[in-house]
Amino acid sequence: MVVSHDRPADGRPGRRQGVAVRARTALDALEHLIGGLGTALLALLATLWLALTTAACLLGVGLRLLPSALHAVRAVADRERGRLSRWGPEIVGPAPPPDGLRAMLGDRAVRREVRWVVTHAVLGLFLGLVGATLPLSAAHDVTFPLYWSALPESEAASSVGWWTVRDWPGAMAVSGIGVALVGVVVLCAPALARLQAWPGRRLLSPDAGTDLVLRVAELTATRAAALDAHVTELRRVERALHDGTQNRIVAVTVLLGAARRALARDPEEAAALLDRAQDAAEQALTELRAVVRGILPPVLADRSLPDALTALAAGCPVPCRVDADMPVRCPAAVEATAYFAVAEGLTNIARHSGAGQARVAVRAAGGLLHVEVRDDGHGGADEHGGTGLTGIRRRVEAHDGTLELASPPGGPTTLKVTLPCGS
Amino acid sequence: MRIVIAEDDALLREGLALLLRAESLDVVATAEDAAAFLDAVDAERPDVAIVDVRMPPTHTDEGIIAAVEARRRLPGLAVLVLSAYVEQAFATDLLAQGSARLGYLLKERVGRVEEFLEALHRVAEGGTAIDPEVVAQLLTRSRPDARLERLSPRERDVLALMAEGLGNAAIAERLVVSDGAVHKHIRSIFAKLDLPPTDRTDRRVAAVLHFLENARRQTP
Repeated sequence: MVVSHDRPADGRPGRRQGVAVRARTALDALEHLIGGLGTALLALLATLWLALTTAACLLGVGLRLLPSALHAVRAVADRERGRLSRWGPEIVGPAPPPDGLRAMLGDRAVRREVRWVVTHAVLGLFLGLVGATLPLSAAHDVTFPLYWSALPESEAASSVGWWTVRDWPGAMAVSGIGVALVGVVVLCAPALARLQAWPGRRLLSPDAGTDLVLRVAELTATRAAALDAHVTELRRVERALHDGTQNRIVAVTVLLGAARRALARDPEEAAALLDRAQDAAEQALTELRAVVRGILPPVLADRSLPDALTALAAGCPVPCRVDADMPVRCPAAVEATAYFAVAEGLTNIARHSGAGQARVAVRAAGGLLHVEVRDDGHGGADEHGGTGLTGIRRRVEAHDGTLELASPPGGPTTLKVTLPCGS
Repeated sequence: MRIVIAEDDALLREGLALLLRAESLDVVATAEDAAAFLDAVDAERPDVAIVDVRMPPTHTDEGIIAAVEARRRLPGLAVLVLSAYVEQAFATDLLAQGSARLGYLLKERVGRVEEFLEALHRVAEGGTAIDPEVVAQLLTRSRPDARLERLSPRERDVLALMAEGLGNAAIAERLVVSDGAVHKHIRSIFAKLDLPPTDRTDRRVAAVLHFLENARRQTP
């Protein structure tokens, strides 16, 4: 299952910035097209070699050569995998091809590579050539007025037209065509690059069948962890309500009952009991608020994750700075997990680290939410020292995320949490 | 009446002690966990123990286990168990050794002081106090039982109050009818449920609870 992440990572830049971003994107795309031209030339050679050996098979002498041709195809395919992985999602190569021609021809990965190498040798080569010639033609035409008069008459022509230029208006027209070509490059190059890469992303990625088996196993495990984390969470809430809040409220009714009985005997005693009942009711409210905050912090529900983290940092006894770069909101469950991870991190810093200052960084980019909590304390933190971080890890993994704790003796301690943003 | 209280929540523990002392009852010890409770039972040899079901360390059924152990150490100890919620299994565990000198109430019943004190006295004097909620669950689950279907609505009310552990006089007072009317209802109920008639309250409660428990088990 390949998910494409190669869209611009910007929010809404201004107009001038927009032009710069577009130019940048177009240049990147041209680079990819020309890189693709390289592998397409190799693919062309491999295709020719394959065609020759196949033809030789018909004559009965090519069977020994065919495996070497297929190995050549694999080599070119691996090159393309590496190239595509550098500017998009990583493409993991298949297992080495089996020995023996029959087994090789039966291998799905090999057959898909053959389909790719032929496609790339044609489509990839064509698009690569377009990608290489378009900018050259554009440069040729835009600068045409500078040198057209020095050209011999037979060669004084636009790169896309066939008429001969004999005067200045003609030269300026050619320059206009050049500007139009630049526009075409800027507009079309990214699409051409994606089109050129498409067969590779489709045919060279692991076979959908095997990939899904792995993915199903992984999802089953994380789903079990999610349910586990969910049950732990529910149990915590149930306990907080039954053993905390409910006890307070029962105490209120006990004290009220006692006060009612005391009313006839001794009004002063009744008043004292009512005072205590009120105290108990207020405690019940405080605890109820804490329980609710533990489920979903209101500041997170009403405002944003950076606001919620700022509030956390303000409550931390160690001076703490928050750097947030979050142009978009993540799903509430993901933000809540990030929030509790930071809360746990800051609690540990306040209790154990001996740090002078701490820093929280949160950044949403490329469909991931990165959270980092760092302190300058003495390090040596151990995840298995308490239950807090283990619970957070379960919550994070339930969201398909990762948690890393680095805390060498002498510090510094860094807690890194990465969560998919659900997009 | 000498009372020991086992309750891990400090505020509730003190509130209970305050309430009972104000009623001139003798609270001889309070304990915040099962171990301290059993020590207090050994040391004070109380008449009644009021025990919370959930106590440290696991907050599950420590109170039930401690109550059973306390009765083993001090036969004849009356035990009133308080629970945050109705758990049929806890009631069944407790009633497995008979219903005399036993009570199982939701915590919030304590606020209805008159009824709570009545239940406490009933248990201390050898009777039974089962929370109406427990009885309601038993009755609801055994609805398909044909013998229960034969009861009139009034008889069902009497049956429920009997299952709670109330005596004839208390049932008559609750339903605002005469003692004689209650007596007649009870005879009729025992006949319809095929139970041997008895006038002793503790045997009667045991028989009714046993019947309801069996009816519940047979329900698919």
